[in-house]
Amino acid sequence: MVNRAKIKELLNESACSHSKDKKPGEGCDKPKPGLAAGGCAFDGAQISLFPYADAVHLVHGPQTCLGASWETRETLSSYEGRDHTVMGFTTGIRTNDVIFGGDKRLADSIDFIMKEYAPEAIFVYSTCVTALVGDDIDMTCKLGSEKHGVPIVPVHAPGFVGGKNLGSRLAGEAVLEHLIGTKEPEFTTPYDINLIGDYNVTGDMWQYLPILDKIGIRVLSSMSGDGRVGSIRTAHRAKLNVIVCAKSLITLCRKMKEQYDIPWISVSFYGKRDTAFAIREIVNALGDEKLIAKAEEVLAEEEEKLEARLKPYKEMFAGKKAVLNTGGNKAWSIASGLQDLGIEVVATSIRKSTADDIEKAKEYLGPDGILMKAPASEQSKVIDEKGAHILLAGGRSLYTAIKKKISFIDVNQEKKVSYGGFEGLLNLAEDLKSAFNNPVFANVSKKAPWETVSMEAE
Amino acid sequence: MEVNYAIELSKHEHKPLQINPIKHSQPMGAALAFYGIRNCLPLMHASQGCASYTKVFFTRHFNEPIPMYNTSVSDITAVLDGGDYSILLSIENITKKNKFKPEIIGLHTTGLTETKGDDVRGVGMHIEIPYCYVNTPDYEGGMESGWALTAKALIDQHTRPYDQVRPNKLLLLPHVSMQPVEVEKIKEMCENFGFETYALPDLSTSMDGFFGEQQGKLAQGGIGIDEIEVLGNCATVVSIGSSMRIAAEALLVKNPKIRHIHFDHLMGQDMNDNFVASLMEIRQIEPSPSVKRWRGRLQDVMLDSHFLIGSSRFVITGEPDMCIGMTELIQSVGGTIEAVVSTVYSPVLEKIEAKKVFVGDLEDAKVHFKNADLVISNFHAERILHIDEQSHAGLVLRGFPNYEELGNQLKNDQLYEGSTYFLLEIANKLREVKHHG
Repeated sequence: MVNRAKIKELLNESACSHSKDKKPGEGCDKPKPGLAAGGCAFDGAQISLFPYADAVHLVHGPQTCLGASWETRETLSSYEGRDHTVMGFTTGIRTNDVIFGGDKRLADSIDFIMKEYAPEAIFVYSTCVTALVGDDIDMTCKLGSEKHGVPIVPVHAPGFVGGKNLGSRLAGEAVLEHLIGTKEPEFTTPYDINLIGDYNVTGDMWQYLPILDKIGIRVLSSMSGDGRVGSIRTAHRAKLNVIVCAKSLITLCRKMKEQYDIPWISVSFYGKRDTAFAIREIVNALGDEKLIAKAEEVLAEEEEKLEARLKPYKEMFAGKKAVLNTGGNKAWSIASGLQDLGIEVVATSIRKSTADDIEKAKEYLGPDGILMKAPASEQSKVIDEKGAHILLAGGRSLYTAIKKKISFIDVNQEKKVSYGGFEGLLNLAEDLKSAFNNPVFANVSKKAPWETVSMEAE
Repeated sequence: MEVNYAIELSKHEHKPLQINPIKHSQPMGAALAFYGIRNCLPLMHASQGCASYTKVFFTRHFNEPIPMYNTSVSDITAVLDGGDYSILLSIENITKKNKFKPEIIGLHTTGLTETKGDDVRGVGMHIEIPYCYVNTPDYEGGMESGWALTAKALIDQHTRPYDQVRPNKLLLLPHVSMQPVEVEKIKEMCENFGFETYALPDLSTSMDGFFGEQQGKLAQGGIGIDEIEVLGNCATVVSIGSSMRIAAEALLVKNPKIRHIHFDHLMGQDMNDNFVASLMEIRQIEPSPSVKRWRGRLQDVMLDSHFLIGSSRFVITGEPDMCIGMTELIQSVGGTIEAVVSTVYSPVLEKIEAKKVFVGDLEDAKVHFKNADLVISNFHAERILHIDEQSHAGLVLRGFPNYEELGNQLKNDQLYEGSTYFLLEIANKLREVKHHG
């Protein structure tokens, strides 16, 4: 079950710089009625766990929850068995289940899934309606687990408890309670780490894993990008937890420190400097001199190769200025990537950033950089003042770019290629090149004949 | 999974869960309907994920910015509030922040707010802006019924009673699976017959992919609430799709003098002959030359494509009103329908004469893919067809969602003209899969 005490705890994460200065009970922002339609807790929980391809993700709720959300995220998996991330499972409850309870339907669904698909585990997500009517999914999962001999994990993140971020944390709680520490790894090494919070969207993780591998760092388990149920169960034996980008699973890391004494660090793999920085952070935290030396050697080699490939882009981008309007850590991580390509970032949005993120953004953009608190209204002015050549933002800002006749890249919607790691930086460079060279934005802002041709009688 | 083979059409489900669902919810249909109302503020009474998912779903399908707001029901309001607080606060927040005045607020419920039993009708007494409420729990019905219930609610709550009609005024009630350009084409046809034509809902000027000056925070285009108020003096109401009968009947309550014509769909020669005949009888005029030309072209294409289509087998999945139209059009040139897999039960499914007609998901449909040359389904079928190596079938994408292709709002399968293009598209796809492997 999920209770108010747990939600309060998760919203007031002591390890999160965001909540540090807030009074008890204030914590993270709560969804406000009528404002932007952001995701809900169920959304966050599903995003966090969905990359487990060897598990079935069963949504216990009515139609909207899964019907509108399956097969929307490019969370790639290297799992060679049946990939459940491209499938949708829902109990799709009906009126009868609301009146009489949906436990029987849930139990039958679990039996059906085990018989037809035999996954390594099932995650069962409660949703608003099934939580409200009080379906006992804990008991149903427990009985199912005993009957079938695989973990069946209840995830208590009904949408009405809060936003996406809270949902991710609740997913972390479910994994901590039901999976982590339930199995021993076949062997351990001094360089075992867990990757936390990278969902491997468009294969982001695969951009930097080869470098870690070359240095000799082993990824013991992943929560959750390209993850395996079997390996997350052994996560308690890792030497270090590495949070990638997202802050939402910070609670999981804090608790693993408390329970298993695993230290944690938070890094990003966007751009050249951040990728190198992230790798140094990891080896320094593992604290082995030989490993640190090896990392320096590998980095020097990789950076040299990368620089050679970046050179033509840097020449092409010389003198270009960009305005960045995106959320959270992307406010500085994408900025850093752009700077690595020789583009001047004249402004970035800090509307959805944490205190840490704002500090970093300040540092990266320097004294002349503009930190936009209300980007929707500010960005247009900034583009004029600074003479920016490109706007990188979400789709809602497209018209700002068109009116200003400058290039535009959508950095928020489901992107098709990865911008992570060294290889990803090259993808970003290629996309920027196309954006700068494309005449479409100037073309569609041309006036129509009926706006220009005079029709007055002679 | 041989068991799935014998699924009969039934009002009851045949398994406890859905695996790879085709079905979409009532609230999503209601939201889409409100996009077809001019300057409407579509407000979903739900926790915020419902609206967020719906917004992303339609944004990706139409490649358009989607106006969508929600009441963000929280753990506290989920239990304590009768709906008033979160609804009124939402409206205040939205209108204050955006400094705009919607012409109408379209409020509909979801599974959550129906379960807690909110009184969405009562709350309207406290709202100064015109307001329409619809009860759309997502544990009942589907997208098609959510859309139809919204059209009905708009008429019930806003159309004034009349006892006279304007002889040339016509209302079109299109079903949910009709894309914006299809509604536009049917409106044009009626206008050609001299009708002053309205559509409810009207996506043809709102979600039609038109590149305008700015992106609205309210529904653009569409039919206005002032126009809905005076629909009671229409002489004729045309419902297309069995789901839309309830909306037409609601209009007849406002004015029994209105003539109601119903078509289960407007695909293929027969249905369009009936449609044109009806319009001719009312207006006592000939159709325009272009209508006659298109009928001739359709007949030509029926003949040209019948070799390929007549020797092919099809599986169709989607909303009931879409399925019956496609089935009958394909059958009119000799195609064999292996299976129709529908999202929800609808009496119209009983009329479909195919080898198999049932309500199910893509797991059920997949069993039939291996017997098919062509599958007509939404984007989710693509991956399933690729995984299934037993199947050589081609895929033509129709229905919601289609994240794969651009220009969904410009796909036209209706009338003589659209049916012609549809037959050509499926015949060309068949040629590709049958002759080139």
